[in-house]
Amino acid sequence: MIWKIFMVVSWMYIIFGVLGIFRFNNLYSRLLTSSKIDTVAAIAMLIALTIYSGFSAYTVKLLLLLFFLILTNPISSHIIVRSAYLNGMPINEKEDKQWKWR
Amino acid sequence: MNMFFEITMAILLVAMFFSMVRMILGPTVWDRLLSLNLISAKIILLIAVYAVYMENQMLLDVALSAGIVGFLTITLFAKFILAGGRQK
Repeated sequence: MIWKIFMVVSWMYIIFGVLGIFRFNNLYSRLLTSSKIDTVAAIAMLIALTIYSGFSAYTVKLLLLLFFLILTNPISSHIIVRSAYLNGMPINEKEDKQWKWR
Repeated sequence: MNMFFEITMAILLVAMFFSMVRMILGPTVWDRLLSLNLISAKIILLIAVYAVYMENQMLLDVALSAGIVGFLTITLFAKFILAGGRQK
């Protein structure tokens, strides 16, 4: 029963993450919403699968996968933001329209 | 009981499709990197859900290695773009 609640929570987070990609018109806000929401959806879904499969050989592998996702998903979004900022991508929306896209 | 996994896999596929749309019409390079990040995270989740659905333990190792490959891809692409890409 509990794993169904976690699964529904992760569905909602995935849907809002996809909505957030299309609604914002600045690169940094898109990165902010999508990275946080996607990490939370991954955590909720892997916890749901761990609870569903019980205490078995699945549990160790799923927790290893959860640990790996928590470790690497914020690092990769940080690397994308750092690459965009050091290349001179403007943060204000007013400067955003004048900047020439690469 | 198994209906939940099928709905989950369908939602993951639809989300991957819309991330692909963002990759096609994204104005900058970093939008495409962002959608690549989202697609690789959703591929890991899809393989994990499928492994529990089919009761096959081997697929979780495939999910872990797919995660490592996706992380290395994004890191190396970001370093490549930061160094100037093909223009320099």
